[in-house]
Amino acid sequence: MERVDLIIVGAGPSGLSAAIAAKEYGLRTVVFDENEKPGGQLFKQIHKFFGSKEHKAKIRGYKIGQELLKEAAELGVEVVLNSTVIGLYQDKEITVRIADEIRHYKGDTIIIATGASENMVMFDGWTLPGVIGAGAAQTMLNLHGILPGNRILMLGSGNVGLVVSYQLKQCGCDVVAVIDAAPKIGGYGVHASKIARTGIPFYLPYTIIKAEGTDHVTGVTIGKVDSTWNIVPGSEKHFDVDTICLAVGLSPMSQLLKMAGCTMEDTPKKGGQVPVINKYGETSVSGIFVCGDVSGIEEASSAMIEGKIAGIAAAYSLGYLSADVQCEETAKLENALSSLRQGMFAPGKRGTAIEFTEEGFPVSAHLLINGYLSEDEALCYPGVTKADGVHPMIECTQNIPCNPCQDACQNGCIKIGEKITSLPAVNGEQNCVGCGMCVAACPGQAIFLVNDDYEPGFASITIPYELLTLPQKGETGIGLGRHGEILCQAEVIEVRAAKVFDRTNLVTIKVPSQMSMKVRFYQKKEA
Amino acid sequence: MDCINERNTDIGTFQPESDDAIIVCRCEEITKGEIRKAVHDGMRTLTEVRRYLRAGMGLCQGQTCAKLVKNIVAKELKISPAKLEPATSRAPMRPTEMKILANETLEGVPKNE
Repeated sequence: MERVDLIIVGAGPSGLSAAIAAKEYGLRTVVFDENEKPGGQLFKQIHKFFGSKEHKAKIRGYKIGQELLKEAAELGVEVVLNSTVIGLYQDKEITVRIADEIRHYKGDTIIIATGASENMVMFDGWTLPGVIGAGAAQTMLNLHGILPGNRILMLGSGNVGLVVSYQLKQCGCDVVAVIDAAPKIGGYGVHASKIARTGIPFYLPYTIIKAEGTDHVTGVTIGKVDSTWNIVPGSEKHFDVDTICLAVGLSPMSQLLKMAGCTMEDTPKKGGQVPVINKYGETSVSGIFVCGDVSGIEEASSAMIEGKIAGIAAAYSLGYLSADVQCEETAKLENALSSLRQGMFAPGKRGTAIEFTEEGFPVSAHLLINGYLSEDEALCYPGVTKADGVHPMIECTQNIPCNPCQDACQNGCIKIGEKITSLPAVNGEQNCVGCGMCVAACPGQAIFLVNDDYEPGFASITIPYELLTLPQKGETGIGLGRHGEILCQAEVIEVRAAKVFDRTNLVTIKVPSQMSMKVRFYQKKEA
Repeated sequence: MDCINERNTDIGTFQPESDDAIIVCRCEEITKGEIRKAVHDGMRTLTEVRRYLRAGMGLCQGQTCAKLVKNIVAKELKISPAKLEPATSRAPMRPTEMKILANETLEGVPKNE
């Protein structure tokens, strides 16, 4: 039986981060992962991440994955792929299935970073082919390059449901609707708005009554739910679809920890069965640590920090570093972690209704129900100002931990301040040069450049554009409103696709002046 | 967990519901009605339901249905799902063929060599 200092189960963002941290202190570390490639879910995250610089904000998930792998490889972290840890026994001994044999390993410390699995929900016809998890759809699209279907209904308006809906749209699928049984959209408002403006409608509170079809999904019937979870008679709607995606939450895959005898708790806020841990991620069994989604459902950014904390803690417990160094390093990481856990969507605030932002602005109810701001509401926020000439219009109205826009502007037009969750404010005193760096930097695609003085009677609007078939300069198409409604003719006057924008293309359109506060998207004319 | 000690709590008689025929555990093809009936037959823990019906004991080892079964049982018992202890976790965590399970490598040398 091979013995190592540290065994890590799972080579996702948290497991790899833990391995890197431990390896830096010299621990003999081995990482097992049952998949054929490392990186966990990071490589299917093609969107830009929220956060600040230290959290790798505005970098796309798969690039963060590439950086992690490179770092791990440079340090010589041993990652064993296609290896399934099937048991965790007393004295930190594990059994691993590798090829056609079962091998035993013993770790002086163990970090479990197994992540989470998708929840399912039952309805008539849910076992038909064509009903899939949203995560599965994302794997098919972004890892395997296969469309899960052509016409899709998304159940679930959390960030997974919203992000995957957008990615389906990017791949050319027709997303007929996003529905949720909750009365409010669960994910970030900016994620909802970027799909709403492409014309995808939200139905809340709605649920699936029936998936139709005999041997595969051919349609779906949804209905509105009342406060007692019954369908409101007459509210039924039918869509012809070939795929139904379920984005109804994740559950920690904590079975190995339960098997090892760790004290467990059932916490709905963390997604289900999780181990009871201390601030270093150590479970009730000395020497067994956890990090990432298996210790409570969160995001990849926080999982990576948790991984580092656990890796350092494992190193300390084996005497590879002093208590002082551990305290110092952990304190830094805890700071980074707590700044990510601020704002309206903080783990501690799940399920609470928030009516006002930290600054005291009313939270848009329209956004929470329909997925977009009404024009009147938009004008209330500090990022939306009227000014002469070109200026940014920031439709960012919820306190989320994210601030790349502030760093993007070289001229100081955008201010968030010390507190990372504060709403971005446009400083009218500074001169916007229309460079578009903020538009491309915003992971929520919530920044537009508006110039009301473009030409007499016409305004220009620069929008972030990440769909396929980039519009061409000179073409004329349709200006769409915040929920994809057709508003006016729009002429493309500039298309910018600089490398520094990282594939968020900037499309500038010319629209009639009275449309400058209404048009927020562009659609090509049907050929 | 509390309900283990409350086996005599009156949960009423089994009442058919319109969606009882829906399959919950896909691997073992166990329906919602069967799970609800099992509770009325006296299966008041998830471990008991598993042994009685084999729900969650198929290929995916309950990865898909464990939470669904838990919610159905909790609703039938009129308690919060958080009060139900999940079924025992034991190796192998993933479906593993017998010939591989038997092919253990100890001290770096496979047994069968």
